[in-house]
Amino acid sequence: MRSILSGWFKVREDLPPGRRTLLTVLSFLIPIGLWCFVSYTPWIWHPEIKLQISAEREGVTTVYVAGDRLSREFFPEFVAAVRAENDTIRAARDSGSVADTSARSARRRNLKILRQLAPVGLAHGWMTRDSSTDDAAIYRLWRDLATGARVATRPALTAENLEIVRDNWAILERHSPTFAYGQLPTEPLLKLVPQGVPANPVYLPAPHEVLAAGWHDFTHQPEDGSPSMGDRVATSIRIIFLGFVISCAVGVPLGILCGTFDTFSRLFEPFIDFFRYLPAPTFSTLLVAIFLAHDAPKIALVFVGTFFQMVLVVAKTTRLLDRSLLEAAQTLGARPRQLISRVVVPGILPDLYNDLRILLGWAWTWLVIAELIGVKTGLTEFIETQGRFRNFDRVFPVIILIGIIGFTTDQILAWLRGVFFPWTGHGGPASRAVARGLVWLPSTIIESARDRAEAMHNRASSP
Amino acid sequence: MTPDLLKLPHYREQSPEVAARFERLRKRPIVMEVRALTKRFSTPRGEVTALDAVSFSVHRREFMCVIGASGCGKSTLARLLAGLETPTSGEALLDGRPVRGPGPDRGMVFQGYTLFPWLTVKGNVMFGPRMSGRSGPAAEQDARQWIDLVGLSRFENAYPHQLSGGMKQRVAIARALANRPRVLLMDEPFGALDAQTRSQMQHYLLQIWKNVDVTIVFITHDLDEAVYLADRILVLDPHPGRVREVVEVPVPRPRSPDQFLTPPFLSVRRHLDTLIHPPSEKQAQRDLPIVRLTEVGDDVE
Ligand SMILES: Nc1ncnc2c1ncn2[C@@H]1O[C@H](COP(=O)(O)OP(=O)(O)O)[C@@H](O)[C@H]1O
Ligand SMILES: [Mg+2]
Repeated sequence: MRSILSGWFKVREDLPPGRRTLLTVLSFLIPIGLWCFVSYTPWIWHPEIKLQISAEREGVTTVYVAGDRLSREFFPEFVAAVRAENDTIRAARDSGSVADTSARSARRRNLKILRQLAPVGLAHGWMTRDSSTDDAAIYRLWRDLATGARVATRPALTAENLEIVRDNWAILERHSPTFAYGQLPTEPLLKLVPQGVPANPVYLPAPHEVLAAGWHDFTHQPEDGSPSMGDRVATSIRIIFLGFVISCAVGVPLGILCGTFDTFSRLFEPFIDFFRYLPAPTFSTLLVAIFLAHDAPKIALVFVGTFFQMVLVVAKTTRLLDRSLLEAAQTLGARPRQLISRVVVPGILPDLYNDLRILLGWAWTWLVIAELIGVKTGLTEFIETQGRFRNFDRVFPVIILIGIIGFTTDQILAWLRGVFFPWTGHGGPASRAVARGLVWLPSTIIESARDRAEAMHNRASSP
Repeated sequence: MTPDLLKLPHYREQSPEVAARFERLRKRPIVMEVRALTKRFSTPRGEVTALDAVSFSVHRREFMCVIGASGCGKSTLARLLAGLETPTSGEALLDGRPVRGPGPDRGMVFQGYTLFPWLTVKGNVMFGPRMSGRSGPAAEQDARQWIDLVGLSRFENAYPHQLSGGMKQRVAIARALANRPRVLLMDEPFGALDAQTRSQMQHYLLQIWKNVDVTIVFITHDLDEAVYLADRILVLDPHPGRVREVVEVPVPRPRSPDQFLTPPFLSVRRHLDTLIHPPSEKQAQRDLPIVRLTEVGDDVE
């Protein structure tokens, strides 16, 4: 036993490749497995009952409909209350006493009882959502279920309810074989006893519900004219991209200058260091005031969120460059400008690249806040709206999508690091081959341009 | 070494050929002249005098070694000559002109590996010429020659991380030489190499020096290395760094590892030993106050 375990737990030693792959796969499978376990094992957690057939109670104003969730403790009470009402009706029938209600209210009451079966019809696809109040169809459903022409499976009716269906149909049939409001009996029908299944809270939908909702949302053009999921992704990516690129365009050069020249460092870094503690979201209203509507304030927020951090991180990376490389370059005749372009910049590029990868991850956080300011847009608007309706099965796919976009981008960038920076010794033969192909032409062009510029500079500076 | 096992000649005794060689050397023009060079560092714990009024001169095509105990200011001297530090007082002259800041006329090879990791071997060697605006096929051809000279033609497109320590230092030498410097400053360039690679590198360096018109100031703390390589050896005293003596090496050229056991080699070697490790210090070293910690009855001495 100990030897098996010690093979997996060696202090600061790498596992063999097979085990590493296994663990990588497991690191995703375990959370998904847990999710499935909690969702599909009815006796694990499941603190609520999701109603499949509901009933209205006499004299109680709170109405539950099919799909509502009741706590596990309350559900039996609810069922008992409905049974008690039925018992009262049966007792009245036996004693032959007639209920003292008007024909109108008795019919309305019975119609409500008929409609108790509508969710069953919907679940089986016997009715569509539009025809769910089609009482003629519901009436036929009562007939078919009572005669056994149709058998409900989703949910299967309990023996008790099936009995009630037959009982009621016997009364209904006596009055009219097809639906007619005026022909409805006035004597009270029995109510179907509520049925339900154990369920988890609404904020933890089951995997298949999430998958189905996601599939629907990602493949269907919404009918209300709101943007499709593809458009939303495009909007979000555009904001994050623009915000981040602008942030890089200013932050990287400034960071390099701060890391290279103490003057810039002392001049900019203290204030930036202070400013980065001001939470970016607090600027949202200000940014809307400055940049007005549309995407500009959102892009600005991503900028504010990443820029200050970027300057400091890039400056630090620049300072970490081995000084002796700069000294070596100086003894080889490099002038200050060349030191920056020929030593500092190429020297820090691989680390800079990694810094930017991490900052890009942060930018996604700022994006979510940015999309909520001014006019809500993009993926976040969808999450916001659906979350407010408690449609969490539609929220999760979008959250997961953001995760997937971020994660795959980062994985691709990590792989490309070996392509862009073959000298770091990371990356396998494949990335090295791609590297040569990709890098050769641009680097040749840049190199010769730089050489030419330097030759011209030297000619100009020497008499 | 306490009892004088060998009867050695005095280290100043030179064979006629060696004497004639030094005569010719002294007639050559002075490339590097150092005048009362002083360097003080201010540290949190007060001023440290790293070098105190150091004066010496190096002739053209001379191979001068600088030795001294650790911390006696050897690196500081090299950095001052390279222009990477400014002296507190005194000056260093290159061909009569005072050194102000680093420049391509003084190449430097550092102890640590300072190749640019993002450049190939060829890119590294071409770095200096590029800085002065020389590029294109001619410069590339030039770079190849230098790479050939250090025997790394097969690796011209390799990146530094693919090379061994000895190969990296050879590239560093080629890189410095590609600028055609007047002086090549080397600060313990082989200090991090294993003994075998190191002696190989010494051999390479002598060959390179023979074929290239360059003056070398070579810093080391390895006495054998100094004697093997140098025409003259500058011995520095520690705290503060002062010139103790400039020793002319009586070992004839061309040098080879076989000379390690010849009388001239041993005589100068022993003299340096007494300069660097004075007899008083040796005594203190011998009698460490160590308690006997072993109980096994096998006396090792
Ligand atoms: N940048 C510096 N700041 C402060 N003290 C220094 C600095 N560089 C060297 N020194 C001091 O100068 C002395 C000589 O150092 P160094 O030239 O590196 O010696 P060596 O190379 O002979 O070992 C040492 O005492 C060292 O502590
Ligand atoms: Mg040193």
